[in-house]
Amino acid sequence: MGKRFSHGPDGGIGARKRQKVVHEAPTSEEITANRQLQQLLSFTQDPVRARHGLQSFKVFLDELLSPDSKDGDRLRILTSYLEAARPAEDNEHAVYLPDLMQIWSHGGQVGNDNIMSAVPVVLALLLKLLSQSLDTVRYGLGICRTLLQKRQQELIARNLSADKGKAFIISPTLRMLKEAISFDGGAIARPLFRARASMFKSLARNMGIVHIGDEAEDIRRPSARTNAVLFFLSALKFLQPEAKKELLSQRDIVAALTRDIKQDPAYLVRELLDGLRSHVLLDDKLPRDAKSSLLNTSTLTRLSALYQYRLDTPAENQPSIADLAHNVLMAACTNPACGVLRQDAGFYPREIDPNAAIPTAELEDLGLEAIVWMNKFKMEVSVRNYTLANFLPNLRPWSSVRQSELLTSIFKVAPELVANYFLTNKSFTFEPKLSATWIGYAAFLFNTVTLPLPDHFCRAPSFPELPPPTSIVIDSILPLPLNQKALARSLAHKSNMISFFATRILVVAIEKLDVAIKMHHDPSHSNKTVWAEAGRRLVDEFCQRSPGIKEMINAYRSIPEGDILHREAASRLLRLCYEVLPQVALMAKFDVSALLETSLRRLSAQELDDPRDFALSLKELENLLAIAGYSPGMRWFAVSEGLSLSPFTMLLKVCVDAPHGVALETIREVLNFVALEQQLVPAHDGHPGLLVLLEALQAYVRLSSSDSSTQIWAFLDNCLTRCANAPVKYIEKMQETKQEGGQDLAAAVVSPIVVAMLEQLPFIATKEGEQATIKALGRFLPKFLGLSATAGESRPLLELMFSRMVAHLADSKGKLAKSGVPRGLSFTYNPLSPTAETRAGGTKDPVGSKGGAKVSTAMDPEILEDTLHVPDGLEADNSGLVKWSTKTVDELVDEGYVSSLVALLASEHASIRKEALVNILKAAAKIKQSEYEEKEQVWLLLSELAETARDKINDEPLPSPIVSFAVHALHVVRDPTSSLYPKVNAFLTRGPCWIVDRLPLVDEILLEEPAVGDTYYTQTSWLLGYLIDGLRTPHDLELFHKKRARGPLFERILALAANPYMRLPLRTQVLRLLYRATGIEGGSTTLTTRFGIVNWLEAREAGCADPSEAALYGGLRGRIWATCDQDRVRSWSKGGLGS
Amino acid sequence: MAPPQPTPGPSQVAADFTAYYLQRATHEFAEDLDRVRAAADFKHDALAVLVHALQQGTALFAPAEQRRIVTATAAKGRQAVSG
Repeated sequence: MGKRFSHGPDGGIGARKRQKVVHEAPTSEEITANRQLQQLLSFTQDPVRARHGLQSFKVFLDELLSPDSKDGDRLRILTSYLEAARPAEDNEHAVYLPDLMQIWSHGGQVGNDNIMSAVPVVLALLLKLLSQSLDTVRYGLGICRTLLQKRQQELIARNLSADKGKAFIISPTLRMLKEAISFDGGAIARPLFRARASMFKSLARNMGIVHIGDEAEDIRRPSARTNAVLFFLSALKFLQPEAKKELLSQRDIVAALTRDIKQDPAYLVRELLDGLRSHVLLDDKLPRDAKSSLLNTSTLTRLSALYQYRLDTPAENQPSIADLAHNVLMAACTNPACGVLRQDAGFYPREIDPNAAIPTAELEDLGLEAIVWMNKFKMEVSVRNYTLANFLPNLRPWSSVRQSELLTSIFKVAPELVANYFLTNKSFTFEPKLSATWIGYAAFLFNTVTLPLPDHFCRAPSFPELPPPTSIVIDSILPLPLNQKALARSLAHKSNMISFFATRILVVAIEKLDVAIKMHHDPSHSNKTVWAEAGRRLVDEFCQRSPGIKEMINAYRSIPEGDILHREAASRLLRLCYEVLPQVALMAKFDVSALLETSLRRLSAQELDDPRDFALSLKELENLLAIAGYSPGMRWFAVSEGLSLSPFTMLLKVCVDAPHGVALETIREVLNFVALEQQLVPAHDGHPGLLVLLEALQAYVRLSSSDSSTQIWAFLDNCLTRCANAPVKYIEKMQETKQEGGQDLAAAVVSPIVVAMLEQLPFIATKEGEQATIKALGRFLPKFLGLSATAGESRPLLELMFSRMVAHLADSKGKLAKSGVPRGLSFTYNPLSPTAETRAGGTKDPVGSKGGAKVSTAMDPEILEDTLHVPDGLEADNSGLVKWSTKTVDELVDEGYVSSLVALLASEHASIRKEALVNILKAAAKIKQSEYEEKEQVWLLLSELAETARDKINDEPLPSPIVSFAVHALHVVRDPTSSLYPKVNAFLTRGPCWIVDRLPLVDEILLEEPAVGDTYYTQTSWLLGYLIDGLRTPHDLELFHKKRARGPLFERILALAANPYMRLPLRTQVLRLLYRATGIEGGSTTLTTRFGIVNWLEAREAGCADPSEAALYGGLRGRIWATCDQDRVRSWSKGGLGS
Repeated sequence: MAPPQPTPGPSQVAADFTAYYLQRATHEFAEDLDRVRAAADFKHDALAVLVHALQQGTALFAPAEQRRIVTATAAKGRQAVSG
C-alpha cells in the first residue's frame, strides 16, 4: 500500500498538497437548556455556526463525563434533547440525531475537515456517556444503528481513509467506532463487523500512524495508531469466534498490530498484551488456525522485543511489561491450544518413520547402517515446529533469565527443536571468557542439558522399533557449542568460576547420558542389537565431545582447598565418570589416595566452623570414597607422609568426630566394607562388623575431653594396620588363646582387632610418656569389649583376653579387674540390627551397586540373557572382502574394516578364508606404505596373523581365540597410550607366527606385573573381552579346557573370580564367558563334569550378599542345567544333580 | 528443656539450601564475581542472570542431600542446647 501519496477520495493531489490546513479554534457557549441545545445542533450550511454548535456540545459532554460531575440538570437537558430528536419509528432505517448526521454529511460534501472531525468527536463522547446508564442505552443503540446506515458508513470510510496527516479526523472516528463496537456489551459488534469494508477501512494503514516527537506520547492525545489498536482490541473482545477468525486472517492488520509495539506507550502495550492473552490465546472457542495466523514468527519476534521495552514505569505491585510479554509468549509457545506449538515426535525428525519395517537379516547384517536416515541429521534437522524454529534465533537467552526460561520451556515441550536450534545458530561459541554474556550462555546451556529426555525418545507410550538418530540425542546431552575444545579450555581456565560452571554442565550431561544409555538398553526393545549399537555409538559420540578424564582430574586438583562447593562438583563429576563411563575413567592413571587424604585431613582437623560446610565436605568425601571403590589401587592402610594416621583410621575418626545430625551412612558402609574385606572383624551372620568399634569410639569420645580422646588414635591405627596387613596371624593368635583358655572355647569368636590390641598393649605400656594413652585405654577398652559381647562375640573369651589386658592398664586399685567386661551395654549411636540389614550393608559392594532389586530366587532366563549375552563379535560379514579396498588407511584401521577382514579367517568356508588372507596381506601392504602413525605395528600384527593362518586355513577355520586376539590387539597397537601396548608389542616381536592352540597373553596378563601403573584390572578386563569373543565353536571350547602347565584356562578364570578385590563388572565378564560356553554344544556338560561349575556357582551364590548378583549365579545354574546333557550329568553326579 | 525444633518442610529446605549455596558460591568466587561486575557487558539484567546462573547448581543436589546439608545447622543448635 502506498503511504506517502495516499489521500482521501476527493480532491486533486496537486491542489491538496499546497493547501495549508488551518485549525481555527471554534467558538463555544455554555448550554443551559434543552431548546438551546436543539438550536445549536440544528442543521446549518454555515460551517462557523455548525462548528460553534458542535464545540459547545463537546464542552457540554466533556463536563458531563468528568469524574466529579454530578450535574443532574445537564443530564436532564441531554435526555430531553435525545428524546426530542428520537425518530418516530424505531427500526433499522430510523435516523437518530438527524441534524448531526446531516451536518456531518454536508461537511463531507464540501470537504470541511473540521466538521468531519468534530462530528465523530461528539459522537464518541456521547456514546461513551450513554453507555454509563441503563436509561440511556436505548438512545446509544439507536445512534449505533444509525452509524451502520449506508450514508454514515460512507462517511466513516471516508474519515478513516483520510490523508495520513489528518490524524485529527482519523483518531476520533476510531474512538467513535471503539465506543460503538463495545456499546452495550458488543450489541452491534456483529453487524458492525459485517460492514467491515467501511468500518475497518484502512485499519492497517492507520495502525502505522504513530506518534512522532522526542517526548513520549501524551495519554490525553493518543495517536491514530493508539486509537486503531484500541478499536481492534475492542473488536477482539466483542466479536464472535467466527468473525474474530475472519479479522485475524487479515494479514495486513495482524502485521501492523505489532510492527511498532516497541515504541507504543506503556498503557497501550499493557492493553494489547492483555487483549491478546484474554481474547485470543485463552479463547477456547477460537479455532487453532485463527490463533496461529496471528502468532506467526514476526508477531512472536516483535513481542519478544518487549523484553527490552524501556518506556515502562510500572506502579508498585504491578508486573512489568517484560513480565507480561513473557507470560504471553510462554502461553503462546508452550501451550498446544494456542496455535503455535505442534506435536512433535521427540528426537525423531519430521519425515522419518521410527517404526519402518527393515528386514531382520538386514538389521543383523548391517546394524545401524541398515537404517538409511541414521546419519542424515548431522547438519540439518527437519522439524514440525517451523514457526518456533524460526522464532527462537531471535531470542537472547544469555542476556535475560526470562528469555532463557522461554527458550528452555519451548525445548521442553518441543524436544525436536534442541538439535535444530544449535545447528542453525552456530555463531555463538562457548569459548570461555569471564564476562556476563559467557555466564548467561553457560546458564542457558546448563538449563538445556538439564531438560529431561522425551518419553521413550518419541513422546509416545512405548519405544519405537528403531533408535533415534544418535546425532540428535547427543545434541540434547551436549549441545554443539559444548565441544571438547571449549569444555577443556573452560575446565582449565584460570578463573575458578568458569571451571566450576563447565564442571556443573558436565555433571548434568553425564547424568543425562546415563539415562539415555539405560533407555537404549531397555528390555522392551524388539531390535535389541540395533538399539545396543546405537547406545554404544552414543557413548562414543559423548566421549568425542567431552573433555578427557585427565582434564577433569587436573581441573579437580587445581581447585583451592577451601573451595568446597567447587570440589564437591568436581569430585561428583569424576565419580559419575567412573559410574557411567568406566571404560573411559579407568584409562586414566588416577590415584585417588592423595585427594582422599586431603579431604580426610580437612574434615578430621575440624577446620570447618559451619556444620553445613562439614556436611558439604562430607559429600566430596563420599564421592572420593566411591571413586576409591572403583579404582583397585586404593591403599587403605598405608600411612603417607602428610598424614599421621592411615586413611582408614582417618575416615573412622571423621565419622566419630562428625557433628550431630550429619548423615554418615555411606561412610559407615565403606568402613565396614573395607573392615570385612581386610578381615578386621568377624564375617559371620549376626555380627554388626565394624559398628562395634565405631560405637565404642563414639561413646568414649562423647564422654571424654577433646585432649584425652586424641590419645588412643595412634594406638588404634597401629592395631588396625597390623591386623589388616597380617590377618591370618591374628586369627592364629586367637586360636592359641582359645586353646590356652580351655576346650569349651573351641567355637568362640572375637574380633581380630581385639587380638591385635592385646598383642600391642604391652609395648605401649612399657613405652616412655604413654601414660595418658594407657589411662585413656583403661576407659575405652572395657567399653569396646563390652559392646563386642553385646554384638554376639564370645564373652568367656573376651573376659579371658581382658584379664590379660588389665595387667598393662593403670589399674592400681584393681577396679578394672574386678568389674571385668561390662554387661548389658547397648548401642546408642549406631543401629544394631544383627540380621539382614547390617550384614547386607556390610558385605555388598557399598558403592558399586546402587541397591539393585532384591531378588531372592534365580534370575529369569530372559533377564539373564540381557545381562550376560554378548553378541558375536566375529560374525562373518563377507562384504568386508570388498568394502575395504576403497577406504583410506585411517578408516581401514580405525573404523574396523581390517577387523572385519580378520574376522573372516574364522569363516566356515575355505574359499572365504583364503580370499580374506589375500586381502589381509594386501591391506597390510597398503598400510605399510601409508603415512599412518602406527603403520609398523599394524603391519607386523597383520603379517604375523597371515603367517600363522597361511597353512591352517586350508582345512579348517583359524581358531576363534586367535582371530579374536588379533582383532582386539589391533585396537591396542593403534593406541600407544593403552596399558597393554608394551605387552602386545613384546608378544609381536617374539616370533613371526603364533602357536594356534596356545592363547596369547593369558600368562602375561594374569601372572606378570601390569608394567603400566595400576592397570591389572584394566588388562584383565581386556583379556576377558577377547576370550569372550573368541569362544564360539566346540573346537574353541577345547582350547579352553585343554590341560596346560598352569591348569586349564577355565580353571584359571574361575579362580580369578574368587579374587575378593575384583569388582562386579569384572566378575560379570567372567559370567559372560561362562554364559557363552553354555551356548556351545557340549559346553555346559564340560563345565559341569570337568570343572564342577554347579558347585562353584552355588558357593559364589552363598557367599554373595547382593541379592541381584546372587540371582545371577542362580540364573546361570539354571541355564547350565537346561543346556547340558542331562542324562550324562545325572549319571555323572550319581543323581546328585537334577533330582 | 527446649522444645524439639520442627522439621523444616520441603520448600523451606529448598530455600535454605539455595541461600547457603549462594553464600558459598559468592564466597568461593568472590574475585571472579568482582571481575564480571566490572566487565563491559555487565548491564541491564546481568545481575539477575548472574544470580540465576550461580543458584541453578542447586539442581545437582537431590532434595534429601539438600536436607542433609541444611539440617546440619539445626543439629548443631540442638547439640549446644542439650550439651
